Amino acid sequence: MAFMDTQTLISLAIEIGKIVLIAVILLMFMLVAVIYLVLKLRWVIARIQSRLGPNRTGPWGVAQTVADALKLFQKEDVIPCGADRWLSTIAPALVFVPAYLVYVVIPFGEGLTARSLNIGVIYISAISSIGVIGIVVAGWASNNKWSLLGAFRGAAQLIAYEVPIILAIAAPVLITGSLDLNEIVKAQAGNFWNWNLFHVTGYPMLPIAFLILLIAGLAEINVAPFDIMEAESELVAGFNTEYSGMKFAMFFLAEFAASFTLAAVIVTLFLGGFQPPLHVLGGQLKGLALTGVSLFWFLAKCWVVVLGIMWIRSTLPRVRIDQLMNLAWKALIPVGLVNLLATGAYVAFWMPR
Amino acid sequence: MGPVAPPLRCKPALVAELNMSQVLKDIANAFISIPKGLWVTLTHWSIFRPSVTELYPEEKPKLPENYRGMPTLPVDPATGRSRCIACGACAKMCPEGIITVEAETGADPKDRKPAKFTIDISRCMWCGLCMEVCPKNCLKPARTFELACRTRDGMIYNLEDLMRLGGAFPAEPEGDKQSEEPT
Repeated sequence: MAFMDTQTLISLAIEIGKIVLIAVILLMFMLVAVIYLVLKLRWVIARIQSRLGPNRTGPWGVAQTVADALKLFQKEDVIPCGADRWLSTIAPALVFVPAYLVYVVIPFGEGLTARSLNIGVIYISAISSIGVIGIVVAGWASNNKWSLLGAFRGAAQLIAYEVPIILAIAAPVLITGSLDLNEIVKAQAGNFWNWNLFHVTGYPMLPIAFLILLIAGLAEINVAPFDIMEAESELVAGFNTEYSGMKFAMFFLAEFAASFTLAAVIVTLFLGGFQPPLHVLGGQLKGLALTGVSLFWFLAKCWVVVLGIMWIRSTLPRVRIDQLMNLAWKALIPVGLVNLLATGAYVAFWMPR
Repeated sequence: MGPVAPPLRCKPALVAELNMSQVLKDIANAFISIPKGLWVTLTHWSIFRPSVTELYPEEKPKLPENYRGMPTLPVDPATGRSRCIACGACAKMCPEGIITVEAETGADPKDRKPAKFTIDISRCMWCGLCMEVCPKNCLKPARTFELACRTRDGMIYNLEDLMRLGGAFPAEPEGDKQSEEPT
């Protein structure tokens, strides 16, 4: 074995060790983010309804999500008779893992990308599509026709809204000329009027792409007004009716992780990623300070976008399934296609190189 | 040749027709009504308006003036005991039948007082009829509602409990003493 001598084995082991370490760090970050986001969601919805959120479990309710997780952890894992045991066990993993895998390419800060793939955008849309399989498997494995119907509607919704997302993501990609998320962030360097959303003099069709991404993204992660799949008052709990305990916790976790992912993608593509709003607020630092400041700005922007998502979530009523599909196929896709055409024409003929 | 069937006019009833002006009107409407809704929720956000939650164990609710709680026997400061004469009117009036009164007389046969007076709070519906019918006006409502208990026996309040919960009658000023009138 000429290619497997001790030297390469050691470096291989170190490489694998680094990968495992980064994976664990990302997982911890995701769990902390989900714990914070669940609490924040309950606070925001409560505040908008003129009441307080959870404030009994620890100051400002910080232990509330932990309490919920412990409650779910100690519940009995019920698999209904006639349900497919194997599929029922792997379905939560099929939903949770793609939500976690997207974190690999997101630029959290300067040099803080787990793997800066040069096809980052394609990777994101490809991995998010795997979540659809998990939902259909979850509905099928329950041996419950209502869960199956919920899973069908969910799959239809997710597949229908994949297309506007890709059309919306394609616009800043065309303008920047690269699929690498780090390149897209670097192209928005400068002050906040240089970000893709606000640079209307340069790129007039990007606000439309932002709107399409926002709407289609909300539908993709099943938040209101597009939460038909988990509409508690309609299909009990949709496709995850028959799941209890830790498996249900996985679905729950995946949903909140996906909402952070959507916020991260929106921030990266349209709001300047980890760039500070004004150059004086940290643009001129170097090294570790730059990394820290960029991480702070990235998280701050994600926080604002998640706040906006929760605001929309607690305001708008749920749309019907036929209205949802109409919105995808008849409104968002034509507008997205026209927007893409305009972007392409702009890049080909008008954009200064 | 037989009769010719008329041509079928099939119109699928479930497909909505694409009315373009309606679609455009809907889109324009959405751009107006959704921000309006978002503005309403924004102005209701509790950082702009205080929340209406009452933090219960720390803040108690404000009871109204004529809140009718459970019947209690306030203590008359002149005699140091309640004004009850153990007539049994309240026991007869109670729709639930939860009041039991036993009379005893002191040295003076006119000096009646209750030897035993119990109310079973678990079945009391706070209707206030016992208070209305008392000739000496000695049953007064308590302004309390935290009466939960862990045993059934704990819900049977006897004379000492009722006098303790009742507090005291306000001391009447001198020269203004009138006999109580039944309500």
